[in-house]
Amino acid sequence: MEMTLNVNGRDHRLSLDSRTTLLDALREHIGLTGSKKGCDQGQCGACTVHLAGRRVLSCLTLAAAVQGRAVTTVEGLAQGENLHPMQAAFIAHDAFQCGYCTPGQLMSAVACVREGHAASDEAIREYMSGNLCRCGAYPKIVAAIREAAPQMAPKMERA
Amino acid sequence: MRPFRYEHAADREAALQAGRSAAAAAGEAHVRAPVQYLAGGTTLIDLMKLDVMRPEVVVDINGLARQHGEIRSGPDGLQLGALVRMADAAEHPAVRRDYPVIAQSLELAASQQLRNMASLGGNVLQRTRCNYFRDVTWAACNKRAPGSGCAAIGGPDRGMAVLGVSEHCIANYPGDFAGALAALGATVDIEGPGGRRVIPFEELHRLPGDTPHIETNLAPGELITGFSVPAGPWTRRSLYLKIRDRQSYEFAIASAAVALDLDAGVVREARVALGGMVAKPWRSHEAEAALRGHPLTEGSAQAAAAAAFAQAVVHGEDRFKPELGRRTLVRALLQCAAMEI
Amino acid sequence: MADDAGRPTGGLIGQPHVRIDGRLKVTGQARYPADEPLANPAYAYLVISAISRGRVAGMDLAATKATPGVIDVLTHENVGQEVKPPMGPDGKPTTTTLESDQIWHDGQIIAVVLAETYEAAREGAYKVVVRYAAEAPSATFDSPGVEVEPLKANETRHDPAKGDAAAAFAAAPVKIDARYDTPIQHHNPLELFSTTCVWEGPKLTIHEGTQNLYWLKGSVAGQLGLDLADVRTISRFVGGGFGSKGAPTSRTAWIAVAARRLKRPVKLVTTRDQGFTIATHRAETRHHLQLGATPDGRLTALVHEGWEVSSRPSSYNVSGTATTARMYACPNIATKVTVVHADRNTPGFMRAPPDTPYMFALECGMDELAYALGKDPIELRRINDTQTDPVSGKPYSSRSLMKCFDAAAGKFGWAKRDPKPGSMRDGDWLVGYGCATACYPCNIGPAAARLSLTPKGKATIQLAGHELGTGAYTLLAIVVADRLGLQVDDVQVMMGDSDLPPVPGAGGSNNAASTSNVAAKACEAIRQRLAMAAVRTNAGIFAGVDPATLTLVNRALVGPDGRSEPLETAASRVSPGAIEAHVENVPQGLPPDAAAALYHGRASLLRGQSREDVTAFAFGAQFVEIRVHRRTCEIRAPRAVAAFASGTIVNPLAAHSQYQGGAIWGIGSALHEQTEIDLRTARYVNHNIADYLVPVNADIGEVDVIFVPEEDHEVNPLGVKGIGEIGIVGMNAAIANAVFHATGRRIRKLPIRIEDLL
Ligand SMILES: Cc1cc2nc3c(=O)[nH]c(=O)nc-3n(C[C@H](O)[C@H](O)[C@H](O)COP(=O)(O)OP(=O)(O)OC[C@H]3O[C@@H](n4cnc5c(N)ncnc54)[C@H](O)[C@@H]3O)c2cc1C
Ligand code: SF4
Ligand code: FES
Ligand code: FES
Repeated sequence: MEMTLNVNGRDHRLSLDSRTTLLDALREHIGLTGSKKGCDQGQCGACTVHLAGRRVLSCLTLAAAVQGRAVTTVEGLAQGENLHPMQAAFIAHDAFQCGYCTPGQLMSAVACVREGHAASDEAIREYMSGNLCRCGAYPKIVAAIREAAPQMAPKMERA
Repeated sequence: MRPFRYEHAADREAALQAGRSAAAAAGEAHVRAPVQYLAGGTTLIDLMKLDVMRPEVVVDINGLARQHGEIRSGPDGLQLGALVRMADAAEHPAVRRDYPVIAQSLELAASQQLRNMASLGGNVLQRTRCNYFRDVTWAACNKRAPGSGCAAIGGPDRGMAVLGVSEHCIANYPGDFAGALAALGATVDIEGPGGRRVIPFEELHRLPGDTPHIETNLAPGELITGFSVPAGPWTRRSLYLKIRDRQSYEFAIASAAVALDLDAGVVREARVALGGMVAKPWRSHEAEAALRGHPLTEGSAQAAAAAAFAQAVVHGEDRFKPELGRRTLVRALLQCAAMEI
Repeated sequence: MADDAGRPTGGLIGQPHVRIDGRLKVTGQARYPADEPLANPAYAYLVISAISRGRVAGMDLAATKATPGVIDVLTHENVGQEVKPPMGPDGKPTTTTLESDQIWHDGQIIAVVLAETYEAAREGAYKVVVRYAAEAPSATFDSPGVEVEPLKANETRHDPAKGDAAAAFAAAPVKIDARYDTPIQHHNPLELFSTTCVWEGPKLTIHEGTQNLYWLKGSVAGQLGLDLADVRTISRFVGGGFGSKGAPTSRTAWIAVAARRLKRPVKLVTTRDQGFTIATHRAETRHHLQLGATPDGRLTALVHEGWEVSSRPSSYNVSGTATTARMYACPNIATKVTVVHADRNTPGFMRAPPDTPYMFALECGMDELAYALGKDPIELRRINDTQTDPVSGKPYSSRSLMKCFDAAAGKFGWAKRDPKPGSMRDGDWLVGYGCATACYPCNIGPAAARLSLTPKGKATIQLAGHELGTGAYTLLAIVVADRLGLQVDDVQVMMGDSDLPPVPGAGGSNNAASTSNVAAKACEAIRQRLAMAAVRTNAGIFAGVDPATLTLVNRALVGPDGRSEPLETAASRVSPGAIEAHVENVPQGLPPDAAAALYHGRASLLRGQSREDVTAFAFGAQFVEIRVHRRTCEIRAPRAVAAFASGTIVNPLAAHSQYQGGAIWGIGSALHEQTEIDLRTARYVNHNIADYLVPVNADIGEVDVIFVPEEDHEVNPLGVKGIGEIGIVGMNAAIANAVFHATGRRIRKLPIRIEDLL
């Protein structure tokens, strides 16, 4: 199938199998390997991206089904050299170890704040539970989100 | 995943048109029809990857959100479009205030990413998590391969059902939202090649019996367009209790959806549905009858729980489940009675 | 601050530092092996067996080959002769894959489908029709047909024993006699197992997440009959290992064969469920523990017998009695371990392999003994604490166990505990407190490194180290900056490539000790050259000064009297460009050929339990609060406190994460994780991470970590003890003990779940 995917503000014209997931399209065809495959079954959250501003799992999303809608991946989070406040907070709080879950955690964390689900540690924990971290960085992920949330000024935010 | 043709339906008519070719497979189960609708894809794409579902045509119905993507709440009750996302229904102020059992059944399900993707229509049609069903290298699964037997009977069965099972299938229906719909006596709006129809939600799913592969009473190509939940004095005093090993992102081992209309502590009306161990969304009329007219106490809650599980069938590791189910229901009823509304 | 020789250091060791690879990790630029860009790759998909014992009688590949995009299918018939089987985690024969038609276990690789796209490869794999000649398999302990092998002692494996334990136990006034079980567990690192192979002429490059670059390289070279110099393994970032990527496994060589046949790169990313059977796991274990004590709480007898499951051909075992026998002062000790062979894949290393299951038994037993004696569990451990290894009589290099207990108990609020089981409540929740000892042997291996320093003060250290999340890049930057008088940002660290000097695999918590000590040695070599040149010249300020007294501080060479000379000046005497050092470090106690063996991927570790001079362990104390719902019995662990004494901590920020992660692993291990097996077929059933439960964010509340300061001059020059594994070790027992305290139910098997408490 011929299709055009809009990723991080850029259009990519691709010829893909109808079976190709958004995750495989990003990783194998567009060369954006930031989004990770941890299960390919919706069970881990490592592949989390934003679709039209909402967090979704790219492994259970067909590439063909997202044409015409804006996809944002971890590569699209920083503005040039300036890290997104969430990225900076993850570094400062050591909110990762191996880093494999981190792209998904970050995309989820940014969405979690935007959704208004970061008002308390309890809410953060619950709404970040769709992102497994096998290294067990959870307490530090919560701390990083707590710190970054107030810094996420609306101007940093893409629509 | 087998190759398929991807089609995007701009509206309901287009979807039904595309679904019409599935209707040709009359006699086949809805879930086994060669044409499958794609909503959130969180069940369908998962099972296609696992080679469990092999549709030839996948019709993307997300374009129907314009027609069937709304939540309306009024004096008669609540209307939920089939393309409403789980996350949106869970956060809807009227749903949260007037139908807490619905909001809770949704927000305690899956993860926020999945809830952003998954539709209410797709949600009720999600399929069992029985691992013998989901792994095609097990030859025996009557649900996946009719007549092949059931590998799950005699295996590790902690996640299996104890209510409504048959000797052909002991799979658990895993959804949470369906429990809330069953308890509140919702109806399902269906459109199909044969026109429109409305059925009670309780009649959407079938018991496994000797045809576990036919999971619902939908005909191939039929489309769920929405759900109607009748208003009632019990909907505000309602809750969903979900018991699981971890705190989040896990299917229920036991669950109870309950709604109560109390008059000075006496049950005028009770609505009860059970989950985590049920062959289909399970309204317990037995428990409701046991409660009606009695003061809601530990004792009456226990009696209702005993009635609810009187017919439970256990196999091995799942022996604890009726007891857990009873305790879950008792806890839910007492918590519900104590709600400040 | 001073190092072991009393020289001042840069003060960076022990200061928290954010990860130098953090930016790569948060921007999606950190390249894990499956992220490697490739020119025209073909995709591989594995076909795995659906039976656990028997033979492949035949395969019908017609539909697969007719699938558009499918290029080739590897089976034992067409490529079986091209590869020698790899050895198991213990270096001895293990199960095979495409080498023959034999099936040893469920989920064994039996074919590899190669296609133009991932989608076509998967479809082709689904279409392979396998005919099996199946035999009745044995699944686990007690299954018909298992072979029972009591293990014997040899040069590397001992059954620690002392005195007459049977008689002492029989005579003991207070006794505990209990049996414990632990389940099958899978590491489930978040990164899926993957392998990409690229040939350039005779040279093979392998991109694969590994904890042991040189072992993988050596193994594949041997399996394919290649020159060692022709194989390169690259693994710059590993998406979690926990032992699962420690030993080479069979898939790698087949992907190399595939790439050779297709003459193009071949990429394999396995599925989550395949990961349960194509790599290793923690085997289920059983324990029989007997403790005898005097009424005042002194241990008089310790008998620990363990049973472990392994595959048919392999006797891989973890024999954690080597740890439990030396935990407490006790005059009479007997231990024994038996392997039970079943039709299963060979187990392997998983975070604190011996200690996690065996310490569960011992530390639950100690809690049971404390209750039997009417003593506080901490006091019982104090009564039996020792500074001498009770088995060998050697001193511990350092042992701060009771300091850890006291520090953690204070922070935890242990004093508020009412010891009576079931006595503490919070609303509908029963509350329980539990504690246990954690420990891990201090291991160190030989290592090599290349270091260069420019006159401007930029350093580059190169070694084939492994970054699994431990903070390995940052650790080396800190050590080098500290020793060369630089800032951490001045140091570039290159790792993850077998073209770099070898270090041992990242396992057994040796990584920090092995690599930091070799890095420090390389720094010392450069310091010495600068110092020698400075004192030899007549022109400089240091003429005639004792070179041993010169240090590198703040980009300058500094004398004992505080006079200093810029690094640039000092360096120009040694070399016009960068100064380079290539060093090897063989810790005392290892054989002299240890360095040479390292290049072949055979690193011999100096193990904390079997040193000539001392016994070297790190110790800790772990405390947990457990809540159990009084009706529905869900079990939650909202709070944990742990204190560890692990010698020198190079980077407390990353160390904190390691300890915390270990404790969270412990919560998963005690309450969630279990691989279910179908006893009729010896097949795993819940092989996915929705059903193999690991903790999610909402399961974890406070996890406090206390660093108990400890200086250990015996263990190794830098005094680094290792931190990666100890964090899990006490948790299983601490949680089981807390569950007992909350409910009065003593659960002696893991995981502890709702149904155990109803
Ligand atoms: C890891 C994981 C955890 C989960 N945890 C939970 C949980 O805790 N609780 C819970 O309740 N659920 C859980 N789910 C299941 C999830 O809620 C369902 O997969 C989801 O709701 C299905 O909705 P969908 O829109 O994605 O359906 P789809 O996958 O798009 O469709 C499912 C099926 O329904 C058909 N279909 C879809 N819409 C219609 C329609 N309008 N009319 C007719 N047919 C239609 C499709 O053809 C398909 O056969 C989990 C899922 C995953 C992957
Ligand atoms: S329980 Fe039902 S779904 Fe599971 S194997 Fe048996 S028939 Fe199939
Ligand atoms: S890879 Fe998508 S949820 Fe795991
Ligand atoms: S940092 Fe390793 S999985 Fe989260």
